[in-house]
Parts: sequence; structure tokens; C-alpha cells
Amino acid sequence: MRWLAAALIVLAAGCGSAPALKGGDSVAKSRLTDAEARAAALAKTGDYAGAARHYGEALRIATSLENADAIAANAINLSIVQQWLGRDAEARAALAAVLDDPRTPFSERRKLQAELRRAILDLSSGNTGAAAVWAGQAERRCNQGCEYAATILNVRAQVELESGHAAEAARLAQAAAERSRGNAARAETANALRTLGRARHAQGEALAALEPLRQALEIDRELGDPRKILADLSALARAADAAGDLAAARDYKERGLAVSRAMNDGRGAAEMEVLLRR
Amino acid sequence: MNIALPPGRFSGLLLKVNAFLAIALLMVAAFMGLVAYKQGWFVRQTMIHFVTPNALGINKGMPVKLHGFTVGSVSEMQLASGGVDVRLSLAAEYLMRIPQDSHARHAREAGVIGASVIDIVPGKDERALAEGAQISFEPARGISEIIDDFRRQAIPAFNEVKQAMTQVGRSGQDITEILASLRVEVEHLPATHRAVRKLVEEAAQTTAELGRQTGATLQAVERVAGTMERAIPALSEKLASGIESIDAAATQLKKTGEEAQLTLKSARPLLDHSETAAREAGDVLTAAKRIWPLSDSFKESSDGMLPIDSFEAQGKGRTR
Repeated sequence: MRWLAAALIVLAAGCGSAPALKGGDSVAKSRLTDAEARAAALAKTGDYAGAARHYGEALRIATSLENADAIAANAINLSIVQQWLGRDAEARAALAAVLDDPRTPFSERRKLQAELRRAILDLSSGNTGAAAVWAGQAERRCNQGCEYAATILNVRAQVELESGHAAEAARLAQAAAERSRGNAARAETANALRTLGRARHAQGEALAALEPLRQALEIDRELGDPRKILADLSALARAADAAGDLAAARDYKERGLAVSRAMNDGRGAAEMEVLLRR
Repeated sequence: MNIALPPGRFSGLLLKVNAFLAIALLMVAAFMGLVAYKQGWFVRQTMIHFVTPNALGINKGMPVKLHGFTVGSVSEMQLASGGVDVRLSLAAEYLMRIPQDSHARHAREAGVIGASVIDIVPGKDERALAEGAQISFEPARGISEIIDDFRRQAIPAFNEVKQAMTQVGRSGQDITEILASLRVEVEHLPATHRAVRKLVEEAAQTTAELGRQTGATLQAVERVAGTMERAIPALSEKLASGIESIDAAATQLKKTGEEAQLTLKSARPLLDHSETAAREAGDVLTAAKRIWPLSDSFKESSDGMLPIDSFEAQGKGRTR
């Protein structure tokens, strides 16, 4: 009994002991780490405004420390959160800390991330020309072998689809799907399948579009992102309509409407209601 | 020397001369009549007047206007006690359109630089002005007076602007930054407005719901109070026995604590050893993370980065 108690106390002491402070860490460095941790926690809980505030603070501290990697990481994270808040101009301005600074020696990986983010931002605001340029730059830096190869291909596929080149979009989306298969980032597989389905639909192959869209929906449901589930259901409803399967189309529309209402997404719900009235 | 004129050459000359003179006289009379008509000599005129302390800019013959329509002119000006008595000659038919509490003012037809006129500003009285009545007069402000007035009003404003700019300069903040921040805040106003509206609506709903629930809660509280009233005697008995049990358990706990203290004393060296070992293991792990073959295995996949997702290219914002 005594030995058991002793073992428990040892275990508790091991778990409860404070981590050893790194001797070289300054106050500013610990504030930087703290701001980054707080921002990440707030972003995880959905408080994007709070996350943006802390990423901004972290970016400021990183700039004062001339820590190139932290500057880039926080600028990119800040741009992501600002876009989630619908502030595209601020998101673009955050990326300028990396893209418009030739003096700071950012790593190739960070430059690529910033270029890719810029392409995504430009495409989301309908600037397909600029998006194509930034995506091309990121692809050259990636050289077909980086962790963001599938994401870049997906962005390029969406650019082509938005530009009316459905066949090229389908080819790029197919390539993105193949590259992302077996990868940990399954979200990009789903994105690739969704874009492939949309591209096939745009080519007039509604029946062929259904299968990749269903696969995308399956993955997105596993990943648990309602925005993507809604996008899949919307694309599926359109493809099923075009394929003449009216019952399936109605089912997808009703499911999409339920999802958008649960998300409090007024725009998505309105879109689904329009689709249902057709 | 007599010149013989042919007989009959000037016969009727006197008659012709008289006829010519009569026609000329008639034409002069017609011309004068026309001029008199144009000058309004045939229109019955009536007189009103006002006294002004300063008649600068007022001239004889200056038009008098009512609603912008010429109804007469300045007919006479003469020095009087308290200033200059200015007499206005108006067509009698317009006098009935000028109320008793009307006043005259010196105005210009096109702002500051137009022709000077006397403008009659009609009052609200229902009774018309009587013939020969005196009305009040509002002298015109000169351009220097207007400039002085503007200067008096503008100087405090300029001083405040100057003071504000000095404060901004002292605060060390760039005005463009302030304006940019202001613009960002203004852009957020519609969203804030929507959020406040939603909050108010939700608050109203919640209040109504709360009202309903309060009634039900009060009833439930009444029921609970009744139950407690019944249960308290039995509970107090159980509480007494429970306290006795706790007392016994506390005694036992004290004993266990003493034993644990002894155990801790014996385990202290072991604890020190284990802490040292843990620290060393941590150092080894950190070092191993830096070594090339192992560094990839220990690399954190997230890297503290939020996901760069190509889906974000599809639309604006993110639903919470």
C-alpha cells in the first residue's frame, strides 16, 4: 500500500512539475509565443476577431525581434483570419509584410505560403488574372515537389474554371486529386474532387460529375466542415438536375437548405431556396 | 430791284406751312404721350416712405420690387430727423398687395454684385398698407461687413483646427493612420448595426420567454419548498449520523497523512533522481530533434500555421 502511494506521488510530481525555463528566452520572445498560442486557441474556438488581434500583436513583436520566420508565419495566419472575417483588404495588407519586403530573408517555404495565400485571396475576390499569376509563382517555387502542390493545383483549377476553361480545370483538378491521395491533407482531396465535379458539369457531363462530388461530400462529412458540405450539396443538386434525376436533386437541395439554415448562412439558404423553386 | 415771280407759284403756301406745322405738332404730342405712358404718368401713383439712418447706395429712381416684380421707384429723398426720409412711388393698384407689417430692404438683384433695388418683404398681416404709410427699413450689409462677420465666425474655428493639428502632431501618430483606422471602424458600422439589431431582437424574445419560465419556476419552487419542509426532519437525523461518520473518516485520514509523510520522506531521494532523469531525457529528446535523420520524424505537422485551404478561394468570409 505504501509503495503504491509512493508511486502515485512520484507520478503526480512528474506531471505537475513546471517546465524548465529556457535560459536564453527574453521577455519579448515569451510574449511572442504567448500571443501566438492565444491567437491559435481563439481561432480554434471561432473567435476570429480575437485571433486577428493576437496575430497582429504577434506580428508586431516578431517584427521588433527581426524574426523572419515568425513575421511570415504570423502575417500569413493574420491574412487567413482576416479573410474569414470577410476583410479581404486587410488580409491582402497582412501578406504585404512578406510579399513586399525584399530585404528580410524569408525561407522559400514561407514565400510560397504567402504567394499561395495571395492567389487564394485574389481568386476569392474575382481577380482571376492576378490569382493565376500568384499561383504560377507559387508553383515555380514549389517545383512540383512541395507539401502545397495539391493546393496550388486546386487553385489553378479553380482559376481555369472561373475563366471558362472547364476542360483544363478538370485536368488540373484530376492532377490535384491524384497528388493529394494518401496525403494527410484530405481536405485538398475533397476540394479537388469538388472542382473536378464542377468542371465536368460545366463541360456538359452532368452524370460524370456526380461521382467525384459524392466522394467530396463523403470526405467533407468526415472532416466536419459545414461550408464544404453545403458547397458539395449545392454542386450535387445542380449536377443531378442537369442529369435529369429530379428526385435526387430535390433531396440534395433540401439537405443543403437544412445545412445552411443550421449554419445561419442566409446567403446559402437563399441560394438553396432558389434552386428548390426551379 | 424787283424780281418778277411767275403767278400762281406760291399760291396756298400759308396753308401748306400751317398743315406741316400742325402735323409736326401732332407727332411731338404723340411722342410725348408715348413717353409719358411709358413713364407711367397715366398710372395713378401712391406714396409710402421709410426713414433710414444711412442712405448710402439708395438713389432716386431706384426700382422698388415686390416678389421680384417692379411695382414702383424711389421718388424722393430728403434729410429728416434720424436720417434720410426716402419716399417710394408705387402704382396704386399694387398697394393693396403689401401687408401692413411689411418692411423694405436694400438688396441686389444677383447676390453681391447685381443692380441695387429696394425690395419690399411682405408681412403676414391681412390688412393692406395705407397710402403714405411709413414702413421699416433694413439696410444692406456691405461686402466689408460680410467679410468681417465671416472672419469673426471663422477665426475660432481655425484656431480649434490649428489646436487639433498641433495635438495630433504631438501625439506622434500619423494622420493617415488615424484616417485609415477611422475608415475601418466606419466600414464595420453596418455589421455592428446588424449585430445590435439582432441582439435587441434576441433580448426581446428572451425577455418574453423568461416571463413565461418565471411562472413555471415559481410553481416548481413552491413544490420544492413543500417537499423540503417534509424532508428536513429526516434529513437532519441523517446529517447527524453523517457528521459522526465524517469525524471517524477524518481521524483515519489524519493517520493516513502521517503515514504518507513518512513515505514521502523515504521517497524524496527517488523523486530527486526521477526529476533529474526526466530533465536529462528532455535534453536528449531536444537534441535528437535537431539531428538530421530524426528531425523529420519530430517535425510538427501544424508548424503553428492555420490551414492554407484552396476552398477559401471560392467565397467571402466564414460562417461561425
